[in-house]
Amino acid sequence: MTRNPYLPYPARIQEAIVENESRDIKTYRLAFEDSASAAEFRHLPGQFAELSLPGVGEAPFGIASAPTEADFLLFSVKRVGLFTAELHSLEPGAPIGVRGPLGKPFPWDRMAGRNLVIIGGGFAFTTLRALIKQILHPEHRAHFGSLLVVYGARTPGELMYRNELAEWRKRDDLDLHLTVDKADAGWNQHVGVVPAVLEELKPSPDNTLAIICGPPIMLRFTLIRLAALGFPDDDIILSLEMRMKCGIGKCGRCNIGGKYVCKDGPVFTRQELASLPAEY
Amino acid sequence: MTEKLISHTNLDRLLARLGERGRVYAPARDEAGEVALGEWPQNEPLTLEYGNFRQSPKAFFLPQNQTLLYLQEGQWQEPGLPVRETFLFGVRPCDARALLLVDKVFLDGDPNDPYYTRLREKTTVIGLACAQTMPSCFCTSVGGGPGDAAGVDVLAVALETGLLLRAGNAKGEDLLSSVAGLLAEATPAVLQAAEERIRDAEDQLAPVLTADSVRRLREAYDSPLWETAGQKCLGCGTCSFLCPTCYCFDITDEIRGSVGRRVRTWDCCAYAPFTLHGSGHNPRPTPKERWRQRVMHKFRYAVESFAVSFCVGCGRCIRNCPISMDLRTALKELGA
Amino acid sequence: MSASHQIEARLRETVEKLLREKKVSLFLGFEKASLPFRTTPLFLTKTQEVERLAWNPFCTANLSVYLPRLFQAPADARAAKAAPPPPTVGVALKGCDARSVVALLQERQLPRENLVLLGIACPGMVDRRKAEKALGEHEALGAGEDGRGNIRVVVDDGTEITLRREDVVADACLECRSPAPAIHDILLGTPVEGKKTETARLRTAEFESRPLEARWAGFQEVVARCIRCNACRQACPMCYCKTCIFDQTRPRWIGAGTNISDVAIYHLVRAFHLAGRCTECGACERACPMGIDVRLLGRKLSAEVEDLYGYRPGEAIEATPVLSSFAMDDPQDFVTEP
Repeated sequence: MTRNPYLPYPARIQEAIVENESRDIKTYRLAFEDSASAAEFRHLPGQFAELSLPGVGEAPFGIASAPTEADFLLFSVKRVGLFTAELHSLEPGAPIGVRGPLGKPFPWDRMAGRNLVIIGGGFAFTTLRALIKQILHPEHRAHFGSLLVVYGARTPGELMYRNELAEWRKRDDLDLHLTVDKADAGWNQHVGVVPAVLEELKPSPDNTLAIICGPPIMLRFTLIRLAALGFPDDDIILSLEMRMKCGIGKCGRCNIGGKYVCKDGPVFTRQELASLPAEY
Repeated sequence: MTEKLISHTNLDRLLARLGERGRVYAPARDEAGEVALGEWPQNEPLTLEYGNFRQSPKAFFLPQNQTLLYLQEGQWQEPGLPVRETFLFGVRPCDARALLLVDKVFLDGDPNDPYYTRLREKTTVIGLACAQTMPSCFCTSVGGGPGDAAGVDVLAVALETGLLLRAGNAKGEDLLSSVAGLLAEATPAVLQAAEERIRDAEDQLAPVLTADSVRRLREAYDSPLWETAGQKCLGCGTCSFLCPTCYCFDITDEIRGSVGRRVRTWDCCAYAPFTLHGSGHNPRPTPKERWRQRVMHKFRYAVESFAVSFCVGCGRCIRNCPISMDLRTALKELGA
Repeated sequence: MSASHQIEARLRETVEKLLREKKVSLFLGFEKASLPFRTTPLFLTKTQEVERLAWNPFCTANLSVYLPRLFQAPADARAAKAAPPPPTVGVALKGCDARSVVALLQERQLPRENLVLLGIACPGMVDRRKAEKALGEHEALGAGEDGRGNIRVVVDDGTEITLRREDVVADACLECRSPAPAIHDILLGTPVEGKKTETARLRTAEFESRPLEARWAGFQEVVARCIRCNACRQACPMCYCKTCIFDQTRPRWIGAGTNISDVAIYHLVRAFHLAGRCTECGACERACPMGIDVRLLGRKLSAEVEDLYGYRPGEAIEATPVLSSFAMDDPQDFVTEP
């Protein structure tokens, strides 16, 4: 009998670390309570899960850990409302429910053999961490061409996963460019918005897929930049943020046009998005 | 497919027989004097004199509120799923067809909804064809009809001498053979009379949509007509709550400490808070966007997703809207 | 020609002039709906379309419910700069509707200077459910008013049935004490006399005469059919809160299901939030898809407010809403001797 899709897997918070300087983003490492749940939960980069706190409710979060990071799940959570405030108050050891994995992942199969341009802005970088880690894994890296990553935040203190970023900068199998709107004393990399950095780098669209996650304003100008560089709409991949409830395409909350963002997305190509009404 | 005749007297006996196997719901007048599907037997006599029930039968499969999970000592528990058989008698073809549409999301959709699925499995639907239609009916315009058997296990057609009972599927065949003793032969005259009844009803209905409606709606996305019609909408939710194909719901936790439940309740895209983000941003900020969403979802988006529109032409929204919005008028004005 | 036909002709003339002379940019009225016994609101901006305006016994809606939205203040200074100036709006108002406009003005929800109030004398509007019920198994195809104010209906078999006005007029109209629009810039028709207070309170008196347990049982029976659709709230001109208490999530005050506890609290709180504010137009009970007597509690609270404080909402713009003020001699023995 298949599992009830409304029933969360029981899990526990192993670790909660503050991710950024303004201290409103925390990354949680969760482990399932039992090995059966752990075995059942197999996700791909780009997917999300509904985290569940009894009495508070549920909220969707992109999975920040790669499938290759076997024994745990990572979620980065920004404190913006009722659920996230409650979650931020929890200590390691606290129980939490996990429903998922949900949604369409990044198109792993389409990506094979292509050059990749991965662009992230601010807090939206979470699922891109999962994707990059998965790509960089020794078993996978050879399947892809060049890898350009552009990641921007307001200030250096607001960049997430700084340990990973430091490691990635040392590697020669990816080209990592970090940028901030406002630099501080120690900053020696790009200063400027992400689209401006793209303008500088001028990535080629040949045999390339662009994958973007970011706030609406960054998306808008990045898309303009990519179009100017010659990227066709079908080769631009986006992840859409939307208000969700059930996460399984039933309750109607995330419905836009003929799609449910939780089920038919949240990963869409720009071409798919263009055919949807602009109600998000 | 088996076709039999049952006398009006034996109809009561049929319901009684079904009552031995499970719960029976049949049409009778309620306290407000309106005909509704009530638990059988009851004080009021069975009646076949009605246009349609105020509420659609979707509440039997997707109730207004339903417990999804219980919380006991901090652990989530699934509620026991229903085991009783249920028989619904007198469901109009439009409402029965609506069940097949909602099935596409809840039953056939991946993953399927276990609560809805279980209720569907445990329920037998006996439809009643329409001899009269109402000015607000338009089932034939959306792929249905007054004698349509889509979604019914047995279709009944009321005639002078009794009711023709026509099995719609294996479940229906089983039901008819289980009460064979109450049934008589359906003579060619009976079958003829039934066909005429249904055809008479069909003739009463005027077409509503054009063959091109999906394309027209796509092109009309930015039409000013959405504002002129939408600004009248009160966002009251009546249309959605009575609509047999509306299925949107909200999920809330009713929990104190470590005990309580997670429950789902009917929700409506015409409500302003439906798409309201925590940040205060609302992608559908005014009645215009929400009215457009309603019409588009039923007549265009559903076709794009499921190749069929999600309206069955039951007319409840038209009859019950407090300010008499009529989506047929809207569709006509948009050229759809 | 029936009385309402005459008013309809004058209404069209008047509105045509208002629009043509740009005294209003928008007129809220009624037009024919697709089904009998009904009209639908008309947001009229073009003089050429003035023939769409209708006035008949089915003009039941309280159009003042649309007014607050038309005058909503911009969210912030930047939006205020970009926002167009507020429109001048004309609106057709029956006596009850006019009371709602007055009440909204008392609560500072509308700018008086941007409104042209077209009061229309109303002899009582038809409750479509009563009319449909009166036809028995017949289905109405069309309905109109005859010279005597009764309702002539063409039914499915082609015959005509006449329904007496008093048999199908709405319950709220049977209790109407304010048929003359309290404020108006223009008045059409001759107002009829309002009902006596005693008549208006008959249903309340009947309910009150029952013993306490019977009243509680009666209340539960009345609201048992509630499906929590919120139609009553949405149709009410006085329910204009940006976020209704029942839409709040922090905290969530009641569940959204049909548990009698949640249903009872919804109706009780609504009745109390409307005490001293409800103008008794009946929009709530008309909107209810389940035919619930939504005003059961509200009628009693309105009577209490009137008896204790001599106040009826929506009668005078300058009057301070009763629950926003106090006088040293306000009755208070219900506090000290409950």
